[in-house]
Amino acid sequence: MSIDPNFEELVKLYYRDLYRFGFSLTGNDADACDLTQQTFYIWANKGHQLKNTGSVKGWLFTTLHREFLKVCRRGKRFAHEPIDEGDPNLPHVAADCMNRIDAKTLLAVLGKIDEDYRAPLVLYYLEDLSYKEIAEMLAIPLGTVQSRIARAKIHLLRRLTEIGAPVAIK
Amino acid sequence: MNTNEAKEKLLLYRGPIDDADPQFQEALAQARHDPELGEWLRDQVDCYNAIRSKLWETELPGDLAQKIIRQRPIPFRRDWTQILKLAAAIIISVGLTAVAMNWWQHAWQLNAPEREVTIKGEVLDMTCYIAYNMSGPEHAADARECIRKGLPVGIKSEDGKVYLLTGQPKHSVNEELADYAAQIVTIKGKETARDGFAQVQVEEIRKF
Repeated sequence: MSIDPNFEELVKLYYRDLYRFGFSLTGNDADACDLTQQTFYIWANKGHQLKNTGSVKGWLFTTLHREFLKVCRRGKRFAHEPIDEGDPNLPHVAADCMNRIDAKTLLAVLGKIDEDYRAPLVLYYLEDLSYKEIAEMLAIPLGTVQSRIARAKIHLLRRLTEIGAPVAIK
Repeated sequence: MNTNEAKEKLLLYRGPIDDADPQFQEALAQARHDPELGEWLRDQVDCYNAIRSKLWETELPGDLAQKIIRQRPIPFRRDWTQILKLAAAIIISVGLTAVAMNWWQHAWQLNAPEREVTIKGEVLDMTCYIAYNMSGPEHAADARECIRKGLPVGIKSEDGKVYLLTGQPKHSVNEELADYAAQIVTIKGKETARDGFAQVQVEEIRKF
């Protein structure tokens, strides 16, 4: 089988970002690999339909997120905790506290967050995207993106406090 | 804007990446003049960077890129020109096949193999019938005369199909059929066809 040089370049350019996004969403290597591969598989079949070549990265992220939601809805494999709706207290985080948390713990806590909140939160942390870009990627309104990130962030920091990380609530 | 409202705004602030975002401007200005809010904001940003670094620590599987490239599907590009060409080719092929089958069926009928038949119908003087459309009782005498003279004799079946009647090789049936000119009889014999023209080699004649 001949390799399409554009496809190869595209994979080499974006597979890391997509894998990290998938890994942060699912919390495990196998699912992240599956999502990344599936995303490029879909690109190979449908990518030529994309008119604006400048938005390839956005297209790939959107596709990976859709595939992630499909997996969630199909198998309910990624159990989540409900986001606290009513607590208005904002967490105060000590400057160095997060350095004492390992990535595994962080991913475990992240993985428990409702998937509708998890994706914008992950993009908020991982990618240098504006809120508008995140909203476009996830196909949800800008206001919804910001409120979901805010609530998910509070939830994340609060959960880290509960499991012993030195995060104070003020 | 009080401190809590400023904190709510700045909860989403990530540092330089959001500096140009107008939604943070007022709260950022307040943080510059409020030491407590300023400290809270620095902690928020440090915390953001720490979590971001943790997520970026993820180790990538070494062979993932090659695996994706190797398992790439061969795409089916939807080139409508090609699809239309293919559709046209299929339609033409189907059309040609239908025409060929029709022709073959027709040819088969033109030179149909011999089969036993029993035909009930009027005995015709074929020359007058084909040339002048003359048949029936009013033409009976002339038809008898013509058939007796050896002109082709035929039968028009009840379904309107006309057959040429012939005898066994070297044996004419005209003499026997002349008496039945313009009458309804039943003929038993072997039907064959040549070039679309049906004939029956007579084996038995029965007056109806």
